Amino acid sequence: MEYYSYVNIFETKGLAYLLLLSFLVLGVLLIRYLSGPERKDPGPAKKDRAAHG
Amino acid sequence: MSTAAIPSNELVRFGKFFLDELKPRGKWITPFNVISIPVILLGLVILYFRFTQGLGSVTNLSQQYPFGFWIGFDVMTGVALAGGAYVLCFVVYVLRLEKYHSILKVTILNGLLAYVFYSGALVLDLGRPWHIINPIIGNSFGYNSVLFLVAWHFLLYTGALFLEFSPTIAEWAHWEKLRKFLTSLTLGTVIVGITLSMLHQSGIGAMFLMAKPKIHPLWYSEYIPLLYFVSSIFGGLAMVIFEGTISSKVFSNLIGAKTHHSHEDVILGLGKGAAITMFVYYFFLAFIFMHGEKWKLLNGPWGYWYLVEVIGFVLIPCFMFAYGVRNRRFGVIRVAAIMTVLGVILNRQNVCLIAYNWYVPNKYYPSWEEIVVTLTVVFVEVWVFRWVVTRMSVFSKE
Repeated sequence: MEYYSYVNIFETKGLAYLLLLSFLVLGVLLIRYLSGPERKDPGPAKKDRAAHG
Repeated sequence: MSTAAIPSNELVRFGKFFLDELKPRGKWITPFNVISIPVILLGLVILYFRFTQGLGSVTNLSQQYPFGFWIGFDVMTGVALAGGAYVLCFVVYVLRLEKYHSILKVTILNGLLAYVFYSGALVLDLGRPWHIINPIIGNSFGYNSVLFLVAWHFLLYTGALFLEFSPTIAEWAHWEKLRKFLTSLTLGTVIVGITLSMLHQSGIGAMFLMAKPKIHPLWYSEYIPLLYFVSSIFGGLAMVIFEGTISSKVFSNLIGAKTHHSHEDVILGLGKGAAITMFVYYFFLAFIFMHGEKWKLLNGPWGYWYLVEVIGFVLIPCFMFAYGVRNRRFGVIRVAAIMTVLGVILNRQNVCLIAYNWYVPNKYYPSWEEIVVTLTVVFVEVWVFRWVVTRMSVFSKE
């Protein structure tokens, strides 16, 4: 009779693969976030004083 | 074009011109001078004792701790933070992103001075400094050692940075033909410089591969050369933002209006580059952590200290850069740059000092003399930087 056993991802490299996949997805999201349409200039009041530095 | 081609009367003219340029300009009593001059004088006195009575007279170094604050800060950290020069050269000359051209000269100057002073500080660090020439002349040296590679690369890259900056020196000295000749060498020099930089930034990390039993497993990894290389990219970019912020305030009269205006765009671009490379670095850290199955090591003071470094000084500044770039919050970007610089300093100190010999009960702490000498090196570098930028055409006048 065959028994089923669940894979423990802490003992295998399963967690590393999941991490790799999640970082790839997060990486795409980060690039999209950084390349998104530019927000309006908040103006001198909100903008940090050091902006001209 | 060589100096032999320059007539002797030209050399006399240059000699007079140079002596004239050595004369101080501006006010003597400034906050920076008031702080730096006593520190430099004290540092010179300490260095006198270091060279006459040996390293043990002024440092807490021992056989157990051969790498102290001087190596940890000057060489390991200083060289990493000078990475902005090769990154910007790559961006401007290879990727052809011209908007960064306005800060290229000052970044190269910063890199050149960092290499001259921080890798030059090896003369202070080494117990027998006269042996520093051995890797260059091949005298009883292990040609297969990482240190051999690093020594040659430091020398060659410092030369490459000097060549990259030399057209500005020729322009200042009114040597027009020499300037044109040196400018024609720039692209080749830049390519050689980038290659050398990538290799020795990782080479510095590779030196720790032989110290596996001595470094805490949370900081030790076979991929430490890769981590050192990637962290030098965002560390260098953060340093360019930090130095650019100070320079544009202190030397605002030397910077043209157009450059002032485009400075915001430049900071946004640098911040974006830093955010992406920090994200990649964090991924490498997480992957190495998982791969090494280091979960159990997190539970304890060393684990908490590790989390302070990788979350507090890598992940949080990474998000701050991204947020600052997206919302044009320059203050956030600048704070993130400072945190990133501190993070690189902390990482290098962890690897070569704090988590090095972590199991030894008698830990190494730098002596006050070591700290004063390090400050002396930093202050002298700033003095030379100030002398150069107030005389040569370093900042864009446009």
